[in-house]
Amino acid sequence: MKNVSLFIPCTVNLFLPHIGEATVILLRRLGINPVYHEEQTCCGQPAINAGYQKEAQKAAKHFIKVFGDDEQVVSPSGSCVCTVKYHYPELFENEPEWRRRAEELAPRMFELSQYLVDVLNVEDVGASFAGKVTYHESCHILRGLGVSEQPKKLIKAVQGTQLVPLNAAESCCGFGGEFANNFPDISESMVKDKVENYLSSGADLLLLCEPGCLLNIGGFLSRNHPGKKAMHLANFLAPNGREGQ
Amino acid sequence: MEIQTEQFTAAVKRELQNARSRAFLKVMPPVLNMKRDIGLSTFPNIDAAQAYGAAIRQEAMARLPELLEEFEKNALANGAKVFWARDAKEANETILQLAKERGVKYVTKGKSMVTEEMGLNEILSKNGVEPWETDLGEFIAQQLHRPPFHIVGPAINVAVEEVRDLFMAKANMKEPTLDPVQLGYAARLFLRDKFHHVQMGITGVNMAVAETGTIINVENEGNIRLTKSSPKTQVSVMSLEKVVPTMKDALHMIRLLSRNCTGQKLTAYVSMDSGPKKKDEIDGPEELFILIIDNGRTKIYQDLKARDALRCIRCAACLNICPVYGQIGGYAYGWAYSGPMGQVLNPLLLGLDRTQDLYRATTLCGACKSVCPVGIDHPSMFLYYRSKDVLGDPYWKGKKRPSSEKRFFKAWISAVTRAWLWNLGIRMVRPLINKDVHDGVISKMKGPFQGWFRTRDLPAMAAKTFHDRWKEIKSREAQGEGYRV
Repeated sequence: MKNVSLFIPCTVNLFLPHIGEATVILLRRLGINPVYHEEQTCCGQPAINAGYQKEAQKAAKHFIKVFGDDEQVVSPSGSCVCTVKYHYPELFENEPEWRRRAEELAPRMFELSQYLVDVLNVEDVGASFAGKVTYHESCHILRGLGVSEQPKKLIKAVQGTQLVPLNAAESCCGFGGEFANNFPDISESMVKDKVENYLSSGADLLLLCEPGCLLNIGGFLSRNHPGKKAMHLANFLAPNGREGQ
Repeated sequence: MEIQTEQFTAAVKRELQNARSRAFLKVMPPVLNMKRDIGLSTFPNIDAAQAYGAAIRQEAMARLPELLEEFEKNALANGAKVFWARDAKEANETILQLAKERGVKYVTKGKSMVTEEMGLNEILSKNGVEPWETDLGEFIAQQLHRPPFHIVGPAINVAVEEVRDLFMAKANMKEPTLDPVQLGYAARLFLRDKFHHVQMGITGVNMAVAETGTIINVENEGNIRLTKSSPKTQVSVMSLEKVVPTMKDALHMIRLLSRNCTGQKLTAYVSMDSGPKKKDEIDGPEELFILIIDNGRTKIYQDLKARDALRCIRCAACLNICPVYGQIGGYAYGWAYSGPMGQVLNPLLLGLDRTQDLYRATTLCGACKSVCPVGIDHPSMFLYYRSKDVLGDPYWKGKKRPSSEKRFFKAWISAVTRAWLWNLGIRMVRPLINKDVHDGVISKMKGPFQGWFRTRDLPAMAAKTFHDRWKEIKSREAQGEGYRV
């Protein structure tokens, strides 16, 4: 069985562990053995975003020590992958050895849907769902990693599912980490627009691949539209992965 | 122009209540984006065309001192007079002096962001020289004493009724009307009269060509051409990053600017001025002054990372695509430059201490970067400013962050680098986070995270993290129970 290293983002570890579990189930179903290093913590994205570069460097070094020897690393988050892939090399401008290690790790990092479609060449994972779904293009997945077709291919291959368009699908949902908390006026307006577009899409379910967006959109739905759901693609695709959603 | 970058949050609250601006923002940016897409589709290879633009601007900024010298030499040879101003004060004084020496009572102006940045209109008015903005939108904004709402359409959010009342009161309109054509005609008549007698015109510059000493303006209304060609004295104000190496470069930048800005292949007017009227020519200004203003650009140039900001050609594609601008419009940014363009430029021109919210009020979504024709990586710039701010960097006037935040990241990093402490920390904060859990969610929280909970819930922090669950799975498997989650 082929191994792949699993990086679980903090948001998933703490608040959305079912996304991690669904990722494990899904990979095993596809004949892949996910390996979870128990030494893993956070990739350091919050420190980079807040401007704490020295702290971010330490977090990056820890991450590289834990994952640096892995052949491939997969994560159910695009923004964490972007952090490792693009920000780590920048952090080590003055430390060539660490920079080299960061640059070597970068091409081995994969977002989940990207890994399934581009690396495993899988589109049909054998899931089924009777209903209409729509897909939110998370910023770091779409513009950061250039991943957009991969999740849609996976969704379209789900038996019984109709993928309907989402107006302004490429527009940010207003999460942005600390932004959502520090600029609630703007963030709320943005997530409200996103949810209105979801409601008017006619879909029964909003799918996405980014835990941050799920906290934001899901949190807004939970408060304001309790009947409507958003779901991580891993849970949508994994057998029994939608339970407890 | 009064600098209000520190009132960002208050202005945001106000603008989010502004029904007219909000309705307008739902329509205009998407339309401009669509027009941009159509405009760009006329390039055989869009990515290549944009990358070419980025390369031109990158080269221009790398060679900035040399190109400015070359430009000056060639502009002088064309018969123009070239002034250099270190800052807004010097630039304003130079222009005022030119006006005074010529006994000028008023000037006409073409829309120019750099003169907004300089606060030129206020200085001229105070000293008895009336500045008349002649771009229709800028004319309306000026008469209403409002800052530009959008860099391309400064008054595009103003209600037509308001324009009618304004033109009745201040532009000699005879009959009240809501017909845009009639309103436009009224402004045209009024401003034509200004052009008829004008002695001095002031415009900005879109591009300055080093190899020919030519200054180029693009526009759609013809007011800049009238401002440049009607009076005896023409003053062109350019911030020093406007220079490009060759005419060929300038032509490509015009192609990009028009398409990215309004979706046009070419603007209705392109004026190229190489010196004042020559002996055998029948029109044009008798004297042409080119005022090159620094106002903080040299300082930006000297920081290699910040230097990328100087590539900007003010096309406003970043405003139209920005999801934050799309909510709040242009006023909240508090200065001449709004949207992501302003968020990149204003902190460098004004200092990080005065622009705290500008480089933080972003989700780092990267939409701006994805449309920028000169390759500015806006999110990377914002992160750079934040890192300088955290360090209290004196060069960019970093402010240093609250000590509570510093303590948080200190504690955070000691846990991130030690998995046992990280997992212990999680167990310790869980009861605090989950204090008010109901039905598996948290709907309120005291303390620094209140912003989140105003309209959003958060799932309760899991009783078992993924980390815990994985360990359970492994131990079950070790006992031969097989895999189950």
